[in-house]
Amino acid sequence: MKAPATADVAVSQAAVDNATSADGTEFAPVEMQAARVKLAAAKRALAAKDYKAASDYANQAQADAKLAQAKAGSAKAQSVSATLQEDIRVLRSELERTGTQ
Amino acid sequence: MKISYTQVLLASAVLVLSACASNPKTTSLLEQVRADHARAQSNPKVATYAALEMQSATEALAKAEAAAKERESLETVDKLAYLTKQKIALANEVASRKSAESDIAGAAAVRDQVRLDQRTQEVNQARMKAQESERSAQAARDAAAAATQQKNVAQANEADAQRIAAEALTKNQRLEAQLSDLAAKKTERGLIITLGDVLFSVDQARLNADGLRMVQRLATVLQQNPNRVVSVEGFTDSTGSSQHNQDLSERRSMAVRDALLELGAVRTQIAVRGYGETYPVAPNDTAMNRQMNRRVEIVLSDERGVVSAR
Repeated sequence: MKAPATADVAVSQAAVDNATSADGTEFAPVEMQAARVKLAAAKRALAAKDYKAASDYANQAQADAKLAQAKAGSAKAQSVSATLQEDIRVLRSELERTGTQ
Repeated sequence: MKISYTQVLLASAVLVLSACASNPKTTSLLEQVRADHARAQSNPKVATYAALEMQSATEALAKAEAAAKERESLETVDKLAYLTKQKIALANEVASRKSAESDIAGAAAVRDQVRLDQRTQEVNQARMKAQESERSAQAARDAAAAATQQKNVAQANEADAQRIAAEALTKNQRLEAQLSDLAAKKTERGLIITLGDVLFSVDQARLNADGLRMVQRLATVLQQNPNRVVSVEGFTDSTGSSQHNQDLSERRSMAVRDALLELGAVRTQIAVRGYGETYPVAPNDTAMNRQMNRRVEIVLSDERGVVSAR
């Protein structure tokens, strides 16, 4: 049971790191906080040799971190999309205004 | 009756037991996750953009449902349900991101097209402005050319007028020089040349050589000035009958006309009239005065060919 738990914790750590560098803290603070708390719990459980608990916490932390990263990605994409739509709206109104001069 | 009561009780207990065994365990979280899962599955964006994530969520839900069916601990069911919940949320977010990215690709193309339209419009407007100013410039050039042409025409007209005026002046000067030789007098009726009695044979209508020379000059003037006409008017003194004098004055003026015609003048230029002994220029008391009254006056018209009547 020890080896899979250790691997789960390592994978969760990587997921949290990835989410952090993808601005998860900024765009999904609740999920990031949950991921960090659960990762810490997983590490404590691992240290206490409670491998079942370590694996459970690690899996939850990984799910939270992945969700946080996805939320950051979708928020950024939507922001870019909105900016583009606004650009187009401004350009069109400008085109109409100059076109009727 | 007693048996039947017990049977009923037993049957009830079996019913309750069997209900308990066949109903899987559930939790409020699991029920929420089921609802989330159903919503995500009916979301076309999730189907299009997050099929893999959704499959993973569906597998996680199956595990949670299995745990519930196996009547495992509420804690275990909730752990699996939580993982499922996060996976469904992940599928939703991935779908949302990819959908937005697809919008971005489309919007970028639209924006580029709008920018292109804008450039095209600017170019067209600039071209129209250029054509407009070229038209204005051409109009200005045309106007300038027309003005120059008008000026040239005006100058030519002026030059013509000056030349004509100069010619007229020269003609008039020549005419006056010629007429001064004929001792013409300026009067209200025009220039008058008097052919005196000495230019005619005595009591005759025939011009002598001196008279012919004067008439020759006058004929030349009429040839050179075809617009002018002359009125040839004959007069006598009071000697003799008035009928004789009338005839003599008419014959002398007609003699002058005939000479003018012979020497190159045109018939329409010459009017003839005899006045007999009327309009004397001196009393008929002395031979000198009577000779002055015997005369032929030639009235030269103005440029328009008009001679006012006596």
